[in-house]
Amino acid sequence: MTGAQAAGFTGREADSSAASAVKALQAGGRHAEARERYAELVGRHQRRASRIAFHYMRDVAEADEAVQDAFVKAYSHLSSFREELPFEVWFTRILINGCLDRIKARTRRERWIAPMPDGPAGERDFGERVAGNDPSPEDQLLARERRERLARALAKLPERQLSVFMLSHYEGCTSREVSVVTGLNESTVRVHLFRAIRKLRTLLGEGHAAETKVEKRRVHS
Amino acid sequence: MSILNRLRLTAHLDDAGLTAIWTDASATGVRQSHAHLESCSPCRARYAELASWLETLRLDATTEAHENFPPERLAAQHAQIFRRLEAAERPARVIAFPRFAQPLTSRTSHASRWIAAAAAAGLIVGVGVGQLMDLRHSLSRATTEARVAPTTMARGVDPRMQPVNVTRDEAFLSDLDASLSRAAVPELRALDAFTPRASELPR
Repeated sequence: MTGAQAAGFTGREADSSAASAVKALQAGGRHAEARERYAELVGRHQRRASRIAFHYMRDVAEADEAVQDAFVKAYSHLSSFREELPFEVWFTRILINGCLDRIKARTRRERWIAPMPDGPAGERDFGERVAGNDPSPEDQLLARERRERLARALAKLPERQLSVFMLSHYEGCTSREVSVVTGLNESTVRVHLFRAIRKLRTLLGEGHAAETKVEKRRVHS
Repeated sequence: MSILNRLRLTAHLDDAGLTAIWTDASATGVRQSHAHLESCSPCRARYAELASWLETLRLDATTEAHENFPPERLAAQHAQIFRRLEAAERPARVIAFPRFAQPLTSRTSHASRWIAAAAAAGLIVGVGVGQLMDLRHSLSRATTEARVAPTTMARGVDPRMQPVNVTRDEAFLSDLDASLSRAAVPELRALDAFTPRASELPR
């Protein structure tokens, strides 16, 4: 067993015991203590949840709201949580469903409202402006373009392929874990992952080739 | 070894084949050795290129997400989650309807309200009285008629009226017919010819 897997198991055990404790405290009407114990779970999963929500929503404020909603929903429905399923999986399912609902609502809204163009000093650029290693402006620009291209390509993936790709590749889940979260068959998960990569290769292929050429030119000069 | 198997081993893997190998490795979480990749360095290089491209995508996405969710933002999010949880558990508060520091209506408007009420009352009374008067008029007329009718009936036949004499009437009508038949106006003769005579009518 690798260190990460061992850590995962320990984390799952801790999650399971925390979830059981919160459930018991809620049932006993000790809400303040239940919240205190729930804070443990929130702290452990918040970063990952924000990452997943951001991959789906591509908007910080909306991802933030989706994460909040998912944690509030999970707390209020904790009585329906079965211990045989890892809390992480159960919670991720709630989060992804919430994100997909929000995306649907946004699509409906955008059908009627013209989108605002992103300003040069928009919220999305905040991260790039305060990035730690101070990359050159050219690198920043290239990274930004690459991310935008990737976001556009991901937006073109069907819902299931997107979920499978994000969970498998970005979050490092195995096909078994993805299958539990998405409710898809394990072999179907593999097929979706394969198709998602093929489609991304097609969509980003030309851009990727051009980028590689630019990088090579920069190295030679 | 069959020719097909040898071909399979010697022919280079296409992009789909490389993706399938990568997908299998990713799905199981274990890197498996592949016979062709072990023996073919160009395919191994292409596979490495695919893996590195995918790793770049992952790193880009993860970095972007982390940059957008710095620790301060996560702390604010944490606090907001617990504010919402507390609010959800607190029993619903009934907010009293806001009372105004000063009444919205002044004294002058009190007077105007009284005037409006008096005008409305006057109107209602006027209409009511009018209706009553009408009713009274119609009632008195009906009473008068009712009083007149029985008196007439009680009085019987007017003494000035003569009893009808049938013989005299017939003679009168015959005279009238005769006078009409002798009408001297020539223009009216044709019309007269069309007009039925009383004597001709069946009895």
